[in-house]
Amino acid sequence: MIEWIARGLRTGIVTTRYPKRPEHPPAGFRGRVDILEADHGMPHLEATCPTGAIHVNEDGRVSLDQGRCILCGLCVAADPVRFAFAHGYETATRRRASLIAGEPGADALEDLRATLGERSRTLRRSIHIRHVDAGSDGGEEWEIQALNNPYYDMQRLGFFFTLSPRHADILLVTGAVTPAMRTPLLRAWETMPEPKAVVAAGTDACSGGLSAAVETSAGGVDAVLPVDVYVPGSPPSPIALLHGLLLATGVLTREAAA
Amino acid sequence: MSTVYTLGMVLLAVAMLAPLIGVRVSLAASAMGSALLAVVGVGTAARWSTASIDLGGWLGFGDAHLRADGLAGIFLALTGAAGAAVSLGLLERRPTRLATTLHAVIMLAVATVIGVDQAFVFLLAWETITVSLYLLAASGRDRPAALLSAYFGGSLSKLGGACLLAGFALLYGKTGSFTFHAWTSASGLGAARSIAFVLLLLGFGSKIGLIPSQAGLPPLYTSSPAATAATIAIAYNAGFYGLWRLGFQTLGPGPAWWGEVVLVLGALTAFVGILYAVGQDEITRFLGYSSVEHGGIVLLGFGVALLGQSAHQPKLAAAGLLAATLHLIMHGIAKPLSFLAADRVSAATGERELRPLGGLAPHLPRTAVAFGLAALSLAAMPPFGGFVSEWFTFEALLQSFRLDSTVARLIMALAAAMLALTAGIGLLAFAKLFGGTFLGRARSFFAHLREPGPGLGVFVLSAVALALGAIAPWEIQWLGHGLQGTLGFDLADSTISFPLVLGPVYRHFSVLAPTWLALGIPAFVLTTALLVRILLRPPVRRAPVWLSGAAPAAASVQYTPDSYANPIRVVLSSTYRFRRTLEPIPGPASPRLWEVRTDVTPAFEAYLYRPLVRAGLRLSAHTRRLQSGRLGTYLLYILVVLIVALALIPALHNR
Amino acid sequence: MSAERLRLVTDPVELLEPQLSAAVEDSPDGERRLRLPLSRIDAAVEALALRGGQLAALFPVTAPEPSLLAAVAFQGDLVALRAPLDGAETYPSLSRVTPAALLPERELHDRWRLTAVGHPDLLQAVDPDPDRFDRRIVGEQTFVIPYGPIRSGVFESIQYVIETGGEDVLALHVRPFFKHRRLEQRFTGLGFDHAVQVAERVAAIAGVAHATAFCQAVERALGVEPTRRAQRWRVVHAELERIANHLDVAVKLAEDAALAVGVARFGILKEQIQRLRAQLCGSRFGRGVLVPGGLAAPPLLEPRVALAVLDGFERQLRRDRRLLLGTASFTDRLVGSGALDRETVEAYAGIGPVARACGIAADARFERPYGAYVRVGGRIATVDEGDAMGRLRVRFHEIRESLHIIRQAFERLDKYGPELRSDLPDARGAAFGWAEAPMGELIYWVEVAAGLVRTVRISSPSLRNWPLFAASFRGDVLTDFSFIEHSFGLTPAGADR
Repeated sequence: MIEWIARGLRTGIVTTRYPKRPEHPPAGFRGRVDILEADHGMPHLEATCPTGAIHVNEDGRVSLDQGRCILCGLCVAADPVRFAFAHGYETATRRRASLIAGEPGADALEDLRATLGERSRTLRRSIHIRHVDAGSDGGEEWEIQALNNPYYDMQRLGFFFTLSPRHADILLVTGAVTPAMRTPLLRAWETMPEPKAVVAAGTDACSGGLSAAVETSAGGVDAVLPVDVYVPGSPPSPIALLHGLLLATGVLTREAAA
Repeated sequence: MSTVYTLGMVLLAVAMLAPLIGVRVSLAASAMGSALLAVVGVGTAARWSTASIDLGGWLGFGDAHLRADGLAGIFLALTGAAGAAVSLGLLERRPTRLATTLHAVIMLAVATVIGVDQAFVFLLAWETITVSLYLLAASGRDRPAALLSAYFGGSLSKLGGACLLAGFALLYGKTGSFTFHAWTSASGLGAARSIAFVLLLLGFGSKIGLIPSQAGLPPLYTSSPAATAATIAIAYNAGFYGLWRLGFQTLGPGPAWWGEVVLVLGALTAFVGILYAVGQDEITRFLGYSSVEHGGIVLLGFGVALLGQSAHQPKLAAAGLLAATLHLIMHGIAKPLSFLAADRVSAATGERELRPLGGLAPHLPRTAVAFGLAALSLAAMPPFGGFVSEWFTFEALLQSFRLDSTVARLIMALAAAMLALTAGIGLLAFAKLFGGTFLGRARSFFAHLREPGPGLGVFVLSAVALALGAIAPWEIQWLGHGLQGTLGFDLADSTISFPLVLGPVYRHFSVLAPTWLALGIPAFVLTTALLVRILLRPPVRRAPVWLSGAAPAAASVQYTPDSYANPIRVVLSSTYRFRRTLEPIPGPASPRLWEVRTDVTPAFEAYLYRPLVRAGLRLSAHTRRLQSGRLGTYLLYILVVLIVALALIPALHNR
Repeated sequence: MSAERLRLVTDPVELLEPQLSAAVEDSPDGERRLRLPLSRIDAAVEALALRGGQLAALFPVTAPEPSLLAAVAFQGDLVALRAPLDGAETYPSLSRVTPAALLPERELHDRWRLTAVGHPDLLQAVDPDPDRFDRRIVGEQTFVIPYGPIRSGVFESIQYVIETGGEDVLALHVRPFFKHRRLEQRFTGLGFDHAVQVAERVAAIAGVAHATAFCQAVERALGVEPTRRAQRWRVVHAELERIANHLDVAVKLAEDAALAVGVARFGILKEQIQRLRAQLCGSRFGRGVLVPGGLAAPPLLEPRVALAVLDGFERQLRRDRRLLLGTASFTDRLVGSGALDRETVEAYAGIGPVARACGIAADARFERPYGAYVRVGGRIATVDEGDAMGRLRVRFHEIRESLHIIRQAFERLDKYGPELRSDLPDARGAAFGWAEAPMGELIYWVEVAAGLVRTVRISSPSLRNWPLFAASFRGDVLTDFSFIEHSFGLTPAGADR
């Protein structure tokens, strides 16, 4: 036992200071694709995207739905002037419309639900999260599990994983909802007491991702449950997940720059 | 008081005439007589007056009296109160005339055993109890199985009675008298005292379920008809009375090994009893083994009392005896209550096993409450009576440092550890019993489920069980008066400090305040509930049970009563010889179904009873050869005996 | 290692051709393709199984005509037995030959309406109903715990139906396919660049292995070899993925044993590997690295920097591993749990660390070397215990081997040309591609035509090993459940596809 302690002391503190200090990804990290130049787009750009996230309208204005983007980088490789990977980890938004980059001011047309922190004074510093895998590819689960390792340590921010939905405040859903997982997901939602919030983690959860084209998947969690925060990414990095969770609780209010 | 005593005994005697006067009158007479005896008991134990009945010398071997002194008064009160309630309970259930008669006979015999001061009448009454228990068990349902159980239980009791007879005979031989008083004041008994103690321990132990005769008790409970199992539970107390009166008071201070042996046997009995109990499926058999366990716990206190007596430390003896008596009283109330409640369950559902039951609480609320109170008391949950008595037992065992002998200290410490283990498993066992019967979802469907009657007897016992913990200070005061004659001082003074706080006879050793607990816990719960209701007014939404996202038919996914015992069996699989095998069920190939076969080797049956029985049968096969059936051989026997007698008589005469 | 194995004289072609009227077809290296009538397919598989063959895959294919394909791993090669369907809807069940066919045949029935005649248990497998499951043990002594699909922890969704007496587990059924995303259909009609994105996302934690198998299948179908530089980098990413998976298993086992220091330390090690992968290619899961023909983009980190990181990592790993395996409260939970014997594993055609822990030296990297593994060597790590402790020890050996392989892969890198990607001709073809994923051998069947993917079929190691998980509970209790489950290290996303 002493050896464990000695090794821990020698390693020192590796925990990130996020959100107090921003955390910067390494060069070339694929967290989010931004549009640098939105005008004068040609229709062939739409074909570069495997999930159909790129849309060029009649005026040649290019928009990228980050909720459908699987971060494959094909558009960046095809047109590096127009598309580039953003220099940050954060991707979460509270409105689905805010995920569409290049669209001018997707603003308060949607009625926003109050965050958990606004709904209940006590739910700012101690939040219990129940995770449900509704058909993910397994990567989001690794990143969510990473939130408990010493690098991210979400418990210092007051987040805990809980096993029973009856104790949960946030339902963290990954994966486009497959037919078999639809009923269990709804049951988990029903069993949670008020106030509660849904965080859709991963591009599959935000919009269906690669499965969206197949008619049997629901096409994202918002087809089944009311989503409070969307955290796109393939998969979203742990910092992006933390950002999304802090948005949902109202601790952070600034969303990722759309 | 003596008139009340006489009236009570007469009423019990009248109740024996059930075939003539009818079942209901007989039971009413039993109830009244028991109630009167309870009154007598309370009064004499509290030293308000004395009571005695002179039986004269017509039963032989000297004068006999039914005398209710302090010690007898305690047991009379317990037996009377429980007996009255059981009689009321039986009244609803309309037992057969045979059962009613036997019930009355047992009540009378137990009352006699408790009151009498002469060994011969004691033995008569004791054997009457044995025979009545046998008859009662043999008259139950499913004749062949009942007969077998009755035979088994009866034989073990008979062996115990034989030991009693031997012990009494030994003491008579040494003192020339059958009265207990003569035995108490006898001196120069020497080794006979210890031999007599062992014989009496075996004899009384056979009624209590002491190892190795613990297997005789549960079958008697299982086979007895209707609610008469509760009667057997009352007869159970007679064994303890015998130990208190003869083992502690009469045979007086003995060597330390008496207490040590009793402690070891008590600890083993308690552990074995609960281990057997936790695996049982039939409710009455479970309760039978639970009786064995509680008997063991009572003996732990008694063992400490014997140790204190032999070390001439009256306070230690008082601590042990008080703990044992408290536990005895709790058990004497809770066990008949549980048997009555179990009988109500089987009357309502027709089932005696746990497996098909479940979810009965909404349909049988009164029975559930009664059973729950009994279970909580027996499982030693605060603030009920069982908690108080087990606390006292633990505290008595913790006084080991007051003794000099290392062996005694070690045994007391080990006994305390065993008690803790037993209490833990006991809690699990009663959770299984109560949960498996009343809680959860029903595992079978029962039509027309309703309470089988008003339950007056059950109500009386429930009320007592509910209050038993809270009234502990007054109970101890009353016990102090009652045990004063036995212990030589009134233990209530050093036990109860003001206000209503208890200590284990050594006043400042430790404290317990069951009355305040009994007031405080409900007050706390109610206050919190009221505050939540008034201040928070939370909206309530009901959601289904969470089962990993699945929602199958509930009955197949809840814990079965077997599963409560399963972890213990798996962990102790080498002790139980617990083995599970899957056997395929022959049938269509798809889907393949399996069946579980569980093998448990019951240690006592396999390694003790069967070899003994086999040896006994072999021996009797040999001796049968003496009965050849030929007239000539028998004439030869007579001749031989005549010659031997003629040779012996002068020799004896000369001495 | 494979050179040491004695090659039997019998060639599958010689074996099957006369007996079963099988005809040899053209096949690329490493494969043997035989065409036979549908009614003889079970006899063919049986003939191979009797001589040590293991059923690796069973699926319907469309090239050159709609047929049922059974791939058998036989003496180091993949023998593809192709039986033309001709509109038939039934075929003789292979389950009487090997229990490894039980689950695939149920999937075939659900997805393509192909019925295996003689299958003992043709219940619905795909898209199961979480509320309806059958009990196999009758009687009142046992009850059922439906564990899943939503489980206790941050885990993927799968349902285990546990029949227990309370503590002892008497029977266990695994019900995958709750996450069936129908991804095999998603490949159809995609260009190679897009199709490899789908391959990476079938099972994210084995994404590099899936991409490797897919790219290898396309390259073999078109007769192209990726550039040497690309092959070496593929090996580096694949081995990093293997190390990350094995560390993840250690983290999960430590969490089950409530050894918080173990969880923290191995969490740190795994995070270091994930961050290294992000530095190398921008994705913590190695996404966007592989394309058919080679690599999609140049790596973002110098090899010597990566090697320095790995050296520091290996030092820490050595000490942490020694501490973990020296903690008795941890190892006591693993020793003897979920013990499998060699016969059972061979009967179920088990693969990966599960098989290697029973002494079966099977590793696709060295049996059927692909890519740079032809030139880069390593040892197959095996132990004999077969229990959860054995599987963990195999994984630690493999981590050490992976580091050794990565170092070898980097050694000769500067000697190769800078080309990252070979050109792909516009031909049609169909071939197998395989890769040793961290869970075991992964097999892809890809049919391409005119620069587009037409059909993809996947044989997932997680699906192959799941029946072994059900069979590994012998005398174990409920508290051992998560240890045994995590020691298998399987992924429902890969099994369900």
